[in-house]
Amino acid sequence: MADKTSSYAGQRRFAMLMGIPALIVLLILVAPILFYILKNSFYDITLTVPRPPEFVGGANYAAVFKDTRFLNALKNTGILLVLGISIQSILGLIIALLLNRDFRFKRLAITLLAIPIMITPVVAGFNWRMIYNEHFGPLNFILNALHISEGISWTADPSVALYSILIVDIWQWTPFVALILLAGLQSIPKQVYEASNVDGATPVQTFFRVTLPLLKPMFILVILFRTIWIFKIFDPVYILTGGGPGTSTETLSVYTYVEGFRYWRIGYTSALAVVQLMMMTVVASVFVRLMKRKG
Amino acid sequence: MAKEEKKKHKELLYNILLIVIIAFFMFPVYWIFVGAFKFKGQFFHYPPVFFPTMFSLANFKAVLVQLGGMRSVLNSLIVAGLNTLIATVLAIFAGYSIGRYKWGGDNLSFFILSLLFAPPVVAVTPLFTMFRMMHLIDTYPALIWSYMLFNLPFAIWLIKSFVEDLPEEIEMAALVDGYSRFKAFRKVTLPLILPGVVVSALFVFVFAWNEFLFALIFTRFNAVTLPVFISGLIGGHEIKWGLLSALSIIASIPSIVLVVAFQKYLIRGLTFGAVKG
Repeated sequence: MADKTSSYAGQRRFAMLMGIPALIVLLILVAPILFYILKNSFYDITLTVPRPPEFVGGANYAAVFKDTRFLNALKNTGILLVLGISIQSILGLIIALLLNRDFRFKRLAITLLAIPIMITPVVAGFNWRMIYNEHFGPLNFILNALHISEGISWTADPSVALYSILIVDIWQWTPFVALILLAGLQSIPKQVYEASNVDGATPVQTFFRVTLPLLKPMFILVILFRTIWIFKIFDPVYILTGGGPGTSTETLSVYTYVEGFRYWRIGYTSALAVVQLMMMTVVASVFVRLMKRKG
Repeated sequence: MAKEEKKKHKELLYNILLIVIIAFFMFPVYWIFVGAFKFKGQFFHYPPVFFPTMFSLANFKAVLVQLGGMRSVLNSLIVAGLNTLIATVLAIFAGYSIGRYKWGGDNLSFFILSLLFAPPVVAVTPLFTMFRMMHLIDTYPALIWSYMLFNLPFAIWLIKSFVEDLPEEIEMAALVDGYSRFKAFRKVTLPLILPGVVVSALFVFVFAWNEFLFALIFTRFNAVTLPVFISGLIGGHEIKWGLLSALSIIASIPSIVLVVAFQKYLIRGLTFGAVKG
């Protein structure tokens, strides 16, 4: 019996046997996808033009970085990333601090706040379309009643539309940030605060010298997760503006979709896909390294 | 005494602030809800109607029966249900195997995590071409298969984190008692990770239920899921706000159940097990 438990080879075989079905499924799923985009990214294939695929070498990749519409999508995604993550981090921290107290209905407050996170993104997009409605929506009505604004074209004004999408992302994901930071706050032992108190630190000093540094791992995690999700943002953009007006709200995913399924430029779409995959691989490798250091 | 008073005021201020914040986050949820109980004309009314006056299920009936929304609800249920079942079964074994025996090393972890991080739009063109060749466009298998791309790695990773929480000694004891490895897994470990399996399955279900991009491209009429059906109604030249709101409530049910009933595991799930919460 002792022999059986310590048999390394047997143990390994057993482990592989259990793990392999899932891994085979993943390989069958992923291998053709990777093969397809890598191969086709070197070809000129346009389905609307009846002509056989033509090998073009790196021309598609060279075109990507000169494509003003791609660069515009990159910029829009970048704006959402930078503003989304910073606003959500600050607002999320404030909410986490407010929740990290003893008060009645604490559980209820957390549950209510958490509801937006999982709402179907298409539903969220539709719902904000009602809220943003220029003439009959509640948002302009409230702004008007408070004498803040005469009325804003939330989704039709090219200089506003991207920020309207930002607001939807903030609405849906700030609670997620807040709950992660709350988990971080709750894991800080009380003794740490007591020690800081004994040392005569003011609450502000304690916050900046004790609380914030201890929250750093959680902030890193939040930033990584939000980066991944905002990088692939599609649904709310598609529902609210479809990338418009013009290309003012086009993100990377929306632009890739347009190239593939409106212009049917399969070769170029594949090159776009490879570029985005490489960008995310960098993020994934950072994440794996950080996770390993943690545990 | 004054200090005590001051502290009380401060707490009151914090509570008010929190209520304002919660109101901001809840208002859109409330807005879907009232929308489903409004007459058509009330959507084009100024000032907007903030409280429902029509307490009937007319909008629900109209969208599900007359517009054929029921079909998309069923499609979503079938696709999300089968995807959840297959992904969960595969992930129980794989998550256990990787979590307990730590094989595969960094490369395997990296492979699985990259799948979770990759933008789905990358896979859309290749999958579309493949499904067209295999005549799978507008069928359930196309959606069930493509959702594996993110749901299977997710479920493996989450279940693995629950397996890692269990001390190895529990299983060792069973082995010493004469259990085979598989029996030890089935009789000892599986019951202990069951909460993790349930949580993982719920997330997988909601992700499949909410998915939009793949369903938008891989379906036409027969296999249209709820989000695609909703999006189609928005695209029409006359937006049926009341009907859409009713459908939106139905679409939100699984998400709300997940948040309310499994709040404890919400963050753990969304961070693939990285934050235990």
